Amino acid sequence: MRKVAAPLVVYGKRGNADVLTAVDEAAARLGLHTGMALAQTRAMHPAIEALPEDAAADAALLDSIADWCLRYTPLVACDAPDGLLLDIGGCAHLYGGEQPLVADLGRRVARAGFAYRVAIAGTIGAAHAAARFGEPAAYAAGEEREIMSPLPLAALRLEPSTVASLARVGLKRIGDIIDLPRSPLTARFGAHLMRQFDRALGHEHEPLCPRLPVAPYVAEQRFHEPIAREEDVLGTVEKLAARLGVALERRGDGARRIELTLFRTDGAVRRIAAGTSRPLRDAADIRALFTERLAAMADAFDPGFGFDMARLAVVIAESCPPEQIGIGGEEEAGELVRLVDRLSARLGSQRVRRPIALDSHIPELAAATLPAQTAKADHGWDAFRRHRAEADLAPRPLRLLTRPEPIEALAEVPDGPPLRFRWRRALHDVISAEGPERIEGAWWSEQGGHPSGNLSSGSLARDYFRVEDGTGLRFWLYRAGLYRDLVRGDLPNAAPPSWFLHGTFA
Amino acid sequence: MLDELRQRLQALQKNTGIDDGPGVLPLGIAALDATLGGGLARGALHEVAAAGEAHLASATGFALGLAASAWHLLWIAEDMALAESGAPYGPGLDAFKLKPERLITAAVAHRRDLLWAMEEALHCRALGAVIGELRHGAIDPVAVRRLSLAATASGALALLLRAQPADDASTAATRWIVGAAPSGDDTAFGPGAPRFAAQLIRNRRGPLGSWILEWRDTDERFILATHPQPVAAPLLDRPRRKVA
Repeated sequence: MRKVAAPLVVYGKRGNADVLTAVDEAAARLGLHTGMALAQTRAMHPAIEALPEDAAADAALLDSIADWCLRYTPLVACDAPDGLLLDIGGCAHLYGGEQPLVADLGRRVARAGFAYRVAIAGTIGAAHAAARFGEPAAYAAGEEREIMSPLPLAALRLEPSTVASLARVGLKRIGDIIDLPRSPLTARFGAHLMRQFDRALGHEHEPLCPRLPVAPYVAEQRFHEPIAREEDVLGTVEKLAARLGVALERRGDGARRIELTLFRTDGAVRRIAAGTSRPLRDAADIRALFTERLAAMADAFDPGFGFDMARLAVVIAESCPPEQIGIGGEEEAGELVRLVDRLSARLGSQRVRRPIALDSHIPELAAATLPAQTAKADHGWDAFRRHRAEADLAPRPLRLLTRPEPIEALAEVPDGPPLRFRWRRALHDVISAEGPERIEGAWWSEQGGHPSGNLSSGSLARDYFRVEDGTGLRFWLYRAGLYRDLVRGDLPNAAPPSWFLHGTFA
Repeated sequence: MLDELRQRLQALQKNTGIDDGPGVLPLGIAALDATLGGGLARGALHEVAAAGEAHLASATGFALGLAASAWHLLWIAEDMALAESGAPYGPGLDAFKLKPERLITAAVAHRRDLLWAMEEALHCRALGAVIGELRHGAIDPVAVRRLSLAATASGALALLLRAQPADDASTAATRWIVGAAPSGDDTAFGPGAPRFAAQLIRNRRGPLGSWILEWRDTDERFILATHPQPVAAPLLDRPRRKVA
């Protein structure tokens, strides 16, 4: 713990020198201010406590405060390095007006131990300026001229160099330029100055870029008494989902991605998202999704002293015709989709997959898997079956190893099937073999189309053999490279062919 | 109170895995079906263990053959199993009548997730079969019992695929040890149709036995393999039983 007495300053490197980037109240009383050199400060007040700045931690803290501000409005933007912009248009009445909202915000921020200045104004520029340079208060839209006139030009969010050159010609306050002709100012100081000026005074609209995409459907619930039990949270989810369901139905939409935001009493914010594989509207289904998500989070779901607000938002909505939801004939498909959603929510959507066929001859590229939630109806298997019938493909193994494993093999004739091979320390005598089936990469691809990282075998043709050993085990082996190439010497650094085991048959 | 609990317990016990409710799945082999009491019981848990780790692909094929009638199939495996033995390969699944587009795979990091996912899947009426693949080690008998109950309730086929034979207590309706068997004598042009040395080591409804089966992909079912000369019962790894 830091002793309360010592004045605290934070310093960082600016150019080549350590300068103060922040000072606390006690330090400010000593006459210290940001921008002073640290060495000078130390010389003046040796007892001062100085800490190096941590910009990443500052940004993270600002982010978490921004998250917390989501309780007031979904439109929150970071005004780095030390400010937040909240668009409270249409939200203030939930708190009974702007003043009660500011009071509530101030009370909570102060309780968390932060100093703050809040200003409400009709434009982003005016609010920014009033909070930092003027009198923090709530101003009505249209009062921008009065607010801004007495403030220094730096309040327009300009480059320090622009402010300095304006000062050189005697322009110090915003009021000084309000009635000046525009074109000489633009010619001398650039278009940025007039643009910032117009934006601050509301002549030009400045959009607020929220940190998080704004959800099309939102429902929220505040609690007088914080809730902490998982059942209560899930019950709230169901209640909110039922409310969202009505709105979704009215517009013929269904939810594809839902986000639950829980505001803990101590200011921490939990955001839990769940995806669905088809548009969803049913409150019980949505509750089931979050049941799995919460179960998967286990200890990470730490309610602390409870949550005092919950918000459920449909982040991605998709139009869904009414027959897709809860119709008897589709019941089975619906059940399967619900199962996929439940499994994906608990295990992670990357772990629940469906196989798809791809257009390639290379075995490891011919089939892939996609997350089951995103896989579409066309998996390409019909095309694969047609191709197999036309090309009369040799059988493929039941299980394919993720990476072909090197084996020691002994072949009778150089390019023939192996007589005997050793895989995972066990020796197998080959009784019968079928092959070779030569698989070569596409000629236009430099790597020969083989994705495997090992360059030694990557670009080589493969001869696949299906072999059976004495006990009836069947394997899919291949030889990378040909002895012929080695003998002919076409490839100057050709390595001797090597054998790999790629899969197992039943 | 106690009586009531006893009655409920009895009702529960009656149901585990040996109930005829969801019917049986005839394999089409008279000798085998007779042993199984008409066919493989639906709505029950069956264990298929590979005779040894190298035989896992055979056990996989056998399990898929049993589940061949399922329309949708969920295959749940531990990450380790997929890394060690390879993942199911779409183009090869067709040989066992399993259309890859009907398959959903789930990889799990922990065994308790595997058991949870299997149970969850068995509650879903759209699935015909659920295959859970275990690599090593024992499995919680309570969890197996829960799986049996879930299978009975749903009528789906629950298959536990193990890389090695195990002798832990289990409520499975049948327990098989499956290894590869040499294909017929006509191997001049490469390996023939896949053959399985299937040993039934536990059967809650009848006697045990062992057979050499062959998968006929034209008929999409197992047939009894005929050997050119009579052979003794196949040598299989038996789980070593501890002597108390």
